Amino acid sequence: MKRPVLTLYCLLVYAFLLAPILVVVGASFNAGNFLTFPPQGLSLRWYVTFFHNDVFMRAIRTSLWVAAVATVISGVIGTMAALYYVQHAGRWKETVRVAMLAPLLLPEVLTAIALLFFVYAIGIGTTTMIGMVAGHVLITLPFVFINVSASLESFDPSWDMAARSLGADRLTRFRRIMLPLIKPGVIGGALFAFIISFDTFTISFMLKGIGTSTLPIQLFDYLRTNFTPEAAAVSTVSIVLTLVVVIVSEKVLGLRIHRF
Amino acid sequence: MTEVSIERLTKTFGSARAVDGISIRIADGEFISLLGPSGCGKTTTLKMIAGFEEASEGAIRFDGKDVVNVPAEKRDIGMVFQNYALFPHMTVDQNLAFGLEMRKIAKPEMLSRIAKVLDMVQLGGYSDRYPNQLSGGQQQRVALARALVIEPKILLLDEPLANLDAKLREEMRVFIRDLQRRVGITTVYVTHDQAEAMTMSDRVVVMFGGRIAQIGAPSDIYERPENLEVAQFVGQVNLVKGTVTGVAEAGRCRVASVFGEIAVDSRANHAPGNSVTLSLRPEAIELKPAGQGGAQGKVTARYYSGSIIDYRIALDSGETLHVQTFPNIRIAEGDRVSVHAPADGFWLLGAAK
Amino acid sequence: MTPPRRKGVGPLILIAPAAVLLGVFLVLPYLNIVVMSFRMPGQGTPYGPGYTIGNYTKFFADGFYLFQVANTLWIGLLTTAICLVVGFPVAWQLARGAMRFRALAYGLVLSPLLVGIVIRSYGWTILLGNNGLVNRTLTGMGLIDHPLPLMYNALGIVIALVHVFLPFMILPIMAGIQGVDPSLESAARSLGASRFTAFRRIVLPLCTPGIQAGCILVFVLSLSAYVTPSLIGGLRVKTMAVTVVDALIDTFQWPWGSALALMLSVTGALCVVIFARLTRMKWKVARP
Repeated sequence: MKRPVLTLYCLLVYAFLLAPILVVVGASFNAGNFLTFPPQGLSLRWYVTFFHNDVFMRAIRTSLWVAAVATVISGVIGTMAALYYVQHAGRWKETVRVAMLAPLLLPEVLTAIALLFFVYAIGIGTTTMIGMVAGHVLITLPFVFINVSASLESFDPSWDMAARSLGADRLTRFRRIMLPLIKPGVIGGALFAFIISFDTFTISFMLKGIGTSTLPIQLFDYLRTNFTPEAAAVSTVSIVLTLVVVIVSEKVLGLRIHRF
Repeated sequence: MTEVSIERLTKTFGSARAVDGISIRIADGEFISLLGPSGCGKTTTLKMIAGFEEASEGAIRFDGKDVVNVPAEKRDIGMVFQNYALFPHMTVDQNLAFGLEMRKIAKPEMLSRIAKVLDMVQLGGYSDRYPNQLSGGQQQRVALARALVIEPKILLLDEPLANLDAKLREEMRVFIRDLQRRVGITTVYVTHDQAEAMTMSDRVVVMFGGRIAQIGAPSDIYERPENLEVAQFVGQVNLVKGTVTGVAEAGRCRVASVFGEIAVDSRANHAPGNSVTLSLRPEAIELKPAGQGGAQGKVTARYYSGSIIDYRIALDSGETLHVQTFPNIRIAEGDRVSVHAPADGFWLLGAAK
Repeated sequence: MTPPRRKGVGPLILIAPAAVLLGVFLVLPYLNIVVMSFRMPGQGTPYGPGYTIGNYTKFFADGFYLFQVANTLWIGLLTTAICLVVGFPVAWQLARGAMRFRALAYGLVLSPLLVGIVIRSYGWTILLGNNGLVNRTLTGMGLIDHPLPLMYNALGIVIALVHVFLPFMILPIMAGIQGVDPSLESAARSLGASRFTAFRRIVLPLCTPGIQAGCILVFVLSLSAYVTPSLIGGLRVKTMAVTVVDALIDTFQWPWGSALALMLSVTGALCVVIFARLTRMKWKVARP
């Protein structure tokens, strides 16, 4: 290490970044009734409580469902938009970019409120999941767009020309050349979308209907009135779920990324 | 076996004419180079032949059949790109198989053709490598193999050696040239490097500003350039001012200059009394110690580069000459010299169009 | 016949779904919320019939809300400034540091983004509470007698917000620094500039866009943060976003909530514009 002071400083910042997460994970194994330090022994009792808590289990299912649906929709729409942006937008390029990133640049709380009023204004309200899914698609769309267009920008047009010179038609070129080469970007974007959707709070909070709370909302409600380590167990499971999604998509879908 | 005929081919981008009505007939099996500075329209021409650019006007015929409206993927061309454009997610084998798959070639034949071509480019045993596991020269040869394995009608090469280092570039020149001879495929080669064009081609097409300045065999281009622009582009050249004193016959004049009165060849028509410019290649000049006749001058600079020595000579008449000689004569900076130039070292230039 | 480059409506199909989605679920709702802010307050309903500018006059007449906006902006500025100071060296280390642990360090910076904001804020309540880890440790070591007030105040909110948004500062700055060719620095030093001068005159101006992007991102995110101020600030310290959401969820005052949300957003946008102007003038960013 060349600069010990800088290195030490960075380690402190990393510790700061990790601290609250580690504390939550640690607290989930607390055997006591409250979040006490030092913990009153180690136990998995709060995990057991959590797995028997229908409200939380339903919330997890809702979260996974919304995240999956939102990821698929914004994955497809975002990839198409990125294709247009990189290959066809021409002088509208900047406009398309700003429009696609708008959900990220606008304050999420304002978007959430606007969507809430809107679903009531058009009469669908929060009795269906349409509003919530639309909100999730909106806020995840920029992440798909950014990732896919980045991989498209590094797609060399001469690859496409080479495939043409070898006799490949438009569809074949897309399927055999472009798609495999931008796949890391599409997977990365979808992964981001899934995680953002799974963890997002404000949009879900405003657009939730009766019985359609996602995990972060349920946790938030719980935390306002309860202080048992069950919340820590819920959080830890949520973190583990996210990690599983990341690792699985790396290992299964991303295998080919590392081949070349 | 394909003849290519390009007729009044034009490409306009807005009001700019990138390619301006060029016509070339390429014989079957011929190796043609499009040579010119960047922006001269050579790459655009190649892309129109390949089908990647639409021709604005004119015709491109493969064996008499106009292909202007045929999309690139149906033209049956083999193309090698400047950056090779190897598919990074496919192995060498898969890259080579791609074009054959598009032609629905049966597996056994595919394998034997790939093996044969890999052998031809001396890359047997590299089948399972990915492009990023190959050196630049190897990637280059895979790109060549990929274009050849489909047995296309014509082979198009777009500055394929530009990304290689100097030594490898010279090896690849010979390699590509030999391969092309063996396969006997009609080839169009785009380059801005005159030495490359000279060594490899049957004929060279020199282009400037979207037009053809001259078409001819390499020796023709070098020794009898159409005009000053061509002369300067295809090599170093000395310009000597002179006056026409007489016209012997068509294309042959007598010209008086600092080197005396000489008979020179020309493509242009000149009348006696015209002021003209003679070109004189640096390697045609002979230097002798002072006082041995010829034009007199002084060596102002000497650059040693192994196989040859470059001299700059200031003639007493005020002109500056650039001379290349073998290093077997020992003339130092500051020496006075006699400069001899044989009559056949001169060429009377026409005015640039 | 397929021309080499297709023009016309064909490619528009690619952008159509995104355009419809953004049009219907972003543009229309935003227009709607502007209209909503001019609605009459309702009696037992979210809003009443007719239009008024009363929601805005109420905002400007009542010093409490102006004060709250100012307070929110202050928290946002503080969070941004701290993120910049804390994050810059880390971004530098990531962009230019030794290669060996780069991937791990990068993962560490990204890791908070993989954990929901509720969970992270919850972690801070565990750390900062009166019986939290920090206070327990300090009292345990005999350094303090009474727990330090770390939660239910602006300090706690800022600490947690810095944590939540630090990656958004580090990542753009890192990208900015990576975009500066290290040989430029070497060139400056070969011309006689000290390490610091080379940094200040060459590297800093060139990575200013990254710094600006990071600052704007963190500032905007802090202003609209709801979860963190709500959990850490409790009922005692409320930021504007918390007030707005409460006005809508708990008391159903839609027109009033809309006006508040828009005022906060407009003020935030103004700050961003002013910031962008100031920094560009100061560093004279050459735009390529």
